[in-house]
Amino acid sequence: MKANLPGVERQFRDLLESAPDAMVIVDGSGKIVLVNAQTERLFGYSREELLAHTVETLIPQRYRDRHLGHRNGYFEAPRPRGMGDGLELYGLRKDGTEFPVEISLSPLQTDHGVLVSSAIRDITERKQIEKALREKHIELEKVNRAKDSFLAAMSHELRTPLNAIIGFTGTLLMRLPGPLTDEQAQQLEIVQSSARHLLSLINDMLDVTRIESGKADLHFEAVEVGEVVNTVATALRPTAESKHLRLKAETSSDDLTLTTDRRALRQILNNLIGNAIKYTEKGSVHIRTWRQKNGSIAIAVTDTGIGIKNEDRERLFEAFEQLDRSTTRRFEGVGLGLHLSRKLASLIRGELTVESEVGKGSTFTLTLPGK
Amino acid sequence: MPARILVIDDNRPNLDLMTYLLKAFGHEPTGTTDPTVALEQARARTFDVIISDILMPEMDGFSLARTFKADPKLQSTPLIAVTALAMAGDRERVLAAGFSGYISKPIDPQTFVSQVDSFLPEALRGQNTDR
Repeated sequence: MKANLPGVERQFRDLLESAPDAMVIVDGSGKIVLVNAQTERLFGYSREELLAHTVETLIPQRYRDRHLGHRNGYFEAPRPRGMGDGLELYGLRKDGTEFPVEISLSPLQTDHGVLVSSAIRDITERKQIEKALREKHIELEKVNRAKDSFLAAMSHELRTPLNAIIGFTGTLLMRLPGPLTDEQAQQLEIVQSSARHLLSLINDMLDVTRIESGKADLHFEAVEVGEVVNTVATALRPTAESKHLRLKAETSSDDLTLTTDRRALRQILNNLIGNAIKYTEKGSVHIRTWRQKNGSIAIAVTDTGIGIKNEDRERLFEAFEQLDRSTTRRFEGVGLGLHLSRKLASLIRGELTVESEVGKGSTFTLTLPGK
Repeated sequence: MPARILVIDDNRPNLDLMTYLLKAFGHEPTGTTDPTVALEQARARTFDVIISDILMPEMDGFSLARTFKADPKLQSTPLIAVTALAMAGDRERVLAAGFSGYISKPIDPQTFVSQVDSFLPEALRGQNTDR
């Protein structure tokens, strides 16, 4: 190592050579007095070429004037700090090429007066990674937007033919074109309920996506739980009766009013009660509501259906899961209901839990904050 | 008295469904799949209510609504959107564009005509023809 200040060289040699960064030490007039091997490698100069030149040699022309001012300022109040916080800094190589750098400065007290040591780090790679990350981020946003508009388009395109199917099945069942035989009416009702089922699947799918992209619009208002339970139970009673199941809604005589999103609550109950009916061949579906000791409100839906194995409990709430492959033949659906219900429950600050015994039945309990 | 109703939908089966229902309940619908033709008809004749799809090639329901609302002859005629745009925020977007009503597809054939009737004066509301 060679410096034009012999004492300084001795003092800092080991320190400089072991540093990971290019180290350049300058005196009060900006002259380079000492550099390490990393500096030679980084800037492409030999140390002989640098010594006695000012540090501005290593800075692109367009920054030199400004740097001179900053340098003089620093010597007036020297303290360890980073350079050009938040600014993009560049180094200039001997061959004229530039590269992004990060620099930290610290004053050195020596027999020859105050010197300034700058640690210079080439951040080309980091900048490249940052740029790649930024581009990736933009790309992901684009993909996400594309997904949203794809879903909007799908929703529109699937609804358009369904409109004609549901509509004209309806006009036929309304006997607008003329009378129907019982058999014709029966078959048209199957077309109608299948088309409605398809529509509810499309709606579920869109709801899941909307919730997952954080786009669910909730309207919190005062809602009486018993009233919502009764509305849903009334709507599903014909389905239960067609399977000869007893559907019993036993709502608390207490006023169970809380602030929640009515539509989300209705949708969860619709799923839970609908599932209970779907997976029960015989017996009953029983809904109870009560206020718990800690003030929260509980709604439990108990069925006497096929039940769920312990190991399947959590999988139950994943999207597109129906537990038993053999049951998928028996029960239609894509397995979005419980996934959606649990997501909706957490949106309205509730919790959805399950207890079950295979062959005996299941109880799904929705717990909601009591206010 | 039957109401004169202009119906615009680029999808022929859906147009037929709406005109069929309106006719069955005693109205006088005029249907077209072409918004430009609809505009000519609306200017040439008088309608009690206009029903339009939103997403159509050539001219969408939004620009159709703008054109209607800018036309002194047409601006007071109720304009109802019947659309498969049924995602969150679509209703608001449609009403903000100048439509008086929003009905999402699939329509309910049992209630469709009474939904349309609610935009008509009492005397022009539909009756089930009870065939």
